Amino acid sequence: MATKMDQSGVDPVTFQVIKASLTGIVQEMQNSLFRTGYSTIIRESQDASCALLNAEGEVVAQHVVLPLHIGAFPACCAAVLRTYRGTFQEGDAYLINHTYEGGSPHAPDMAVLTPIFHQGRHVGFSGTIAHKSDIGGPVPGSCFALAKEIFAEGIHLPAVRYIRAGVVNEEVERILASNSRTPELVLGDIRGQIGSDRLGERRVAELSGKYGQNQLLACFDQLMRVSEESMREHIAGWQDGRFEAERLLDNDGISLDKPIRIHVVVEKKGDRIKFDFSGSADQTQGPANIRPPLVKASIVYCLICLTDPHIHINSGLLKVADVVVREGSVLNPRFPASLNTYNPTVHAVVEAMLDALAQMVPGRARGDGCGSRSIIIGGRSTRAGKGYVQYEIFGGGTGARPNKDGLSGACAHQSNSRIAPVEIIESEFPTLVKRFDLVKDSGGPGEFRGGLGIHREYENLMDARFNIRSTKHVIPALGVHGGKSGKPGKLTMKPGTNQERELPSRYSDYPLGEHDVFRLETPGGGGFGDPLSREPSLVVADVNEGYVSPARAAEDYGVVVVERDGDWVLDEAATAKRRKS
Amino acid sequence: MGQFRITVDTGGTFTDVVYYDETKQAITIHKLPSTPHDPSEAILGGVQALIDKGVPATEIEYFCHGTTVGTNALLEGKGARTGLIITEGFRGIYEVGEQCIPYGPTIFNMFYEKPAKLAPQSLTCEVKERVDFQGRVLMPLDEASVRAAARRLKAKKVTSVSVCLLFSFLHPEHERRVRDILKEEMPDVSVSLSSEVLPQIREYFRLSTTVINAYLQPVLERYIANLAKRLEGTGMKSRKRYIMQSNGGTSTFESTAKKAVATVLSGPAGGMTAGVTMARDTGHRDLITFDMGGTSCDVALIKDAQPSFASRVLIDGRVIALPMMDINTVSAGGGTIARVTNQGMLEVGPDSAGAVPGPACYGRGGELPTVTDANMALGYFSETNFLGGRMRLDRSKAVRAVEEKVAKPLRLSTAEAAEGIVRIINVKMEEAIKAISTMRGYDLRDFMLVAFGGAGPLHSSQMARDLGMKGVIVPLYPGVNSAIGLLQADVKHDHAMSRLKVIANLKGSEASGHFAELAQQARQELLDEGFAEGQIAYQYGLDMRYAGQGYEITVPVKSGSLNDADVAAIRRGFDEMHKQLFGHAAPDEPVEVVTYRVAGIGQVPEVKMPRFKSEGRPLEDAHLGSRTARFDGADMTAEVYQRERLDVGHAIKGPAVVEQLDATLVVPPGQIATVDEWKNIIVTDEV
Repeated sequence: MATKMDQSGVDPVTFQVIKASLTGIVQEMQNSLFRTGYSTIIRESQDASCALLNAEGEVVAQHVVLPLHIGAFPACCAAVLRTYRGTFQEGDAYLINHTYEGGSPHAPDMAVLTPIFHQGRHVGFSGTIAHKSDIGGPVPGSCFALAKEIFAEGIHLPAVRYIRAGVVNEEVERILASNSRTPELVLGDIRGQIGSDRLGERRVAELSGKYGQNQLLACFDQLMRVSEESMREHIAGWQDGRFEAERLLDNDGISLDKPIRIHVVVEKKGDRIKFDFSGSADQTQGPANIRPPLVKASIVYCLICLTDPHIHINSGLLKVADVVVREGSVLNPRFPASLNTYNPTVHAVVEAMLDALAQMVPGRARGDGCGSRSIIIGGRSTRAGKGYVQYEIFGGGTGARPNKDGLSGACAHQSNSRIAPVEIIESEFPTLVKRFDLVKDSGGPGEFRGGLGIHREYENLMDARFNIRSTKHVIPALGVHGGKSGKPGKLTMKPGTNQERELPSRYSDYPLGEHDVFRLETPGGGGFGDPLSREPSLVVADVNEGYVSPARAAEDYGVVVVERDGDWVLDEAATAKRRKS
Repeated sequence: MGQFRITVDTGGTFTDVVYYDETKQAITIHKLPSTPHDPSEAILGGVQALIDKGVPATEIEYFCHGTTVGTNALLEGKGARTGLIITEGFRGIYEVGEQCIPYGPTIFNMFYEKPAKLAPQSLTCEVKERVDFQGRVLMPLDEASVRAAARRLKAKKVTSVSVCLLFSFLHPEHERRVRDILKEEMPDVSVSLSSEVLPQIREYFRLSTTVINAYLQPVLERYIANLAKRLEGTGMKSRKRYIMQSNGGTSTFESTAKKAVATVLSGPAGGMTAGVTMARDTGHRDLITFDMGGTSCDVALIKDAQPSFASRVLIDGRVIALPMMDINTVSAGGGTIARVTNQGMLEVGPDSAGAVPGPACYGRGGELPTVTDANMALGYFSETNFLGGRMRLDRSKAVRAVEEKVAKPLRLSTAEAAEGIVRIINVKMEEAIKAISTMRGYDLRDFMLVAFGGAGPLHSSQMARDLGMKGVIVPLYPGVNSAIGLLQADVKHDHAMSRLKVIANLKGSEASGHFAELAQQARQELLDEGFAEGQIAYQYGLDMRYAGQGYEITVPVKSGSLNDADVAAIRRGFDEMHKQLFGHAAPDEPVEVVTYRVAGIGQVPEVKMPRFKSEGRPLEDAHLGSRTARFDGADMTAEVYQRERLDVGHAIKGPAVVEQLDATLVVPPGQIATVDEWKNIIVTDEV
């Protein structure tokens, strides 16, 4: 056991102390970023993350807010190294949001990387990635559902030197500012990122001074090696074999009747594991594509979920798996295929992988979840008389687990955002929320039930432009081991009127008029196991809690309930009869 | 006339009691085993012990208590059967909560569960009504729907009802009417209104806080009534009976029973209050309080003798949005376990050996090495002088545990392994301190570390040095410091209301009107509790943000009576505070006022910590001997002293160990410990 660490020459106590310090530093960077960012996207949705990288651009520590950025940091840093290797100076800062040159999930996610120097030696990078409120393009927020090329997704910066030895390159600032609907927010957020990066630089340099450069760098290597070895050890314990799974996505927003296939073959032998996605669909016209750094990050996400949530997150984990993504496919599209609505595809990739992996890891199968969605309503008249962007992110029901129901009204998998309070959005935007509850009967039936989706209904009070980026409105969250699917999501304009109309799950620029009502129902999670073997008392409780209707209790679960004194109670005889037939 | 004050802090293992004799201005302390089945038993034991010494019960003038009854009922799910009444159509508020999963490793945990709802949907009733964002009634309250709800909750045998309607902080009339109808239909029910518990914007935080209040209220009421009866049974006549609240102030028995949710951090709040007094007394006005016990460590920041507050905390995943002492807790204590992983890595914590089996050196069957064992192996503890000799420690068991489980697998010496364990746990606690200080823009070089709890003084000197702090203060009674804090707290009630407005459009007269309304509520409450006008003070604050920001910061305001120039000055104060906390300010951006706050303070006659004069005793009187202890990789001879025999002005050079009844202070080489006139020990670097 002990021999493993002797190679590096870092004693175990110093190693642990440096590890804890690096964890503290990325946490400190994260706090600084959340607080100094100007935009509500950073402050409210907290769509931003921080990392420390070694001089080769490998992540040595990352604070987990957004697991997907584990792939984006090294890809962005690689682009910076390709362009500027050997020319770094203390006080530099580099920007990149180009999705093909670097590896941000989509162009609004802009990376700021700064080299860390200690006693004149370049020892690593400090990095932040944060979602920008607007970088131009056809719609506010820059996520155009009908984009066919990245040129309709706002401005793309390749790796550029934004600051040289402390001197800001104002040309870069002016170009960015003139390509955004919210220039102050974009530049303000970038400054917040720089501040956070500089904090990381200072702290790492202090650490290097305290423990010595060589020991610190040896520690970087060892952190990655320990995480990789620990993950491989877990994987070696799994059953060997070849397993496959697939998931379908609603559509790409352009060809509305054409589902998109995500397919994976997992081959595992000893401590080696390979994910081959060659069977996935060709790249799409609409913005459903994702790039390989995101696929790799999704793999790491799944592996951590199945092993040790407390594992130290670093690039060592990216080395564990071999990945095959076919060029020209939805997971490795050719430039300049559009990419902005990446989240539905990532959810499908994650769910296909978890499905395949659950066949070799006992006790980890689960129903599919709701995916993630946002609505963006843009207008030019707030209560204060200014332009506004009302941006809300919704989860729904998560998949049932082998021993537990799914979560209702929650975020699934790697997506994780706060919901906006009703009292805040009504105070700030011209909107009235009419209903906010769960969607009854939306959880996929099973021995363990999928979580329920969210139902919100709005009355729009002034003319505005409406956008949605959602998923699973056509293809539901699937159940597992005999569990049934959750109810799909739905977006209805003017419900209950003769103009009632359902919009697709990706849609841009719907004109909302004064007093127009729209209703969003988000998907429920998939069930686990045969619903007929669900403990009847749990079904009765679900009926009493309003999660399941009496009719569906009978239909889906074979449980017959009767009303007594305002409560629903089990009709044992009728239930036994119904479950037998 | 002799008069006594008694304060009692109930902990998991011990109930700490402090007696203050006002005539002699003298403090004595007492520790009893806690009685978790009925905490009042140990409390009564503490009161009786004083009476047994010949003090008549009628001379006990003042009683104050830090309790974990509310916290435990919440953590153990033992609250009342609670119902909830909401605006029709809005069941999603409680069900969805914040929607997101907590950051960190939880994101990867596929078995994560939201906390169970304290008022389930089957005990939730909707009433027809709607108020808008300006407080205008869009739909009047339909009383028939309220009566139907009351009857349903009555049939379901609900004993406590929470009411949270949309925008009730602007228009409380609907909630009040709901209460009237509930009381008609179910006279014995306990009712908690969100417009009274937390009249603030953001419906989920308000609802969650109100439901927790309803859930705990009957439990607290019962506990307090029983305690009051038992205290009266001893012959105690005084009505100055208080409970510590999470906001660092106390509240009478009667008021506490009406706002149960405010007691959730009653326990640790006392330690911070003691820190504030110490800051005022000693002139060390910037402090970090560091309370390390058996399983966890609480740290908090005091700046210029003022405690820091958080406006929202999570307890077991549930939101409480009341002003509370801002206390950061990490799993690090004497019982924290060290182990070597399969990858050959040394990990310390987060799990703990607890009281049973406890550290290996306790000889109660524990075999895993803990932080206490590491300290023992390093020679910091005495085998025979722990808890005043009441408990014997076995050094050989500590050494064996460290050797077998850590040193051998890592091929280190036992001493190296033990030092490693202590360094790692220190780094974790240091990170907890950085999180509340450097990460919020404070410079630790200005701060002293106040070390208390059984384990605090063992680690504090090294940590203060690692963090570059000014030094360490160990109070005279580190083991009962929270109960000392109870002696020094004033009565404090928080009142708040949300009224959103861009500050540029806010008139001084309008702000003054809101403050006056809140101050009147605060005043009346304190008058009702028996305070005279002259004993009442007010603290004012405004929650503000840059327009569009998601969260506010509370800016202290000097007076409740403001003119327009004052409002402009407050805005500049907000910019400054924003810069201090977050590193930047935006003086050109519009600022919104969100919530007005007034705290009513009922001043309790101050307890001065006793000051001592040097008795001229030689340091040798306190010298117990010497033993070998390990510092920075070297075995050294450490002189050992008895704390209780130290005199004002004594100075001890490290390496040294100072032992007292319930704590042990380690002074490393290069540091010096001096005794000040309050008999605090101050540890600083030798110059």
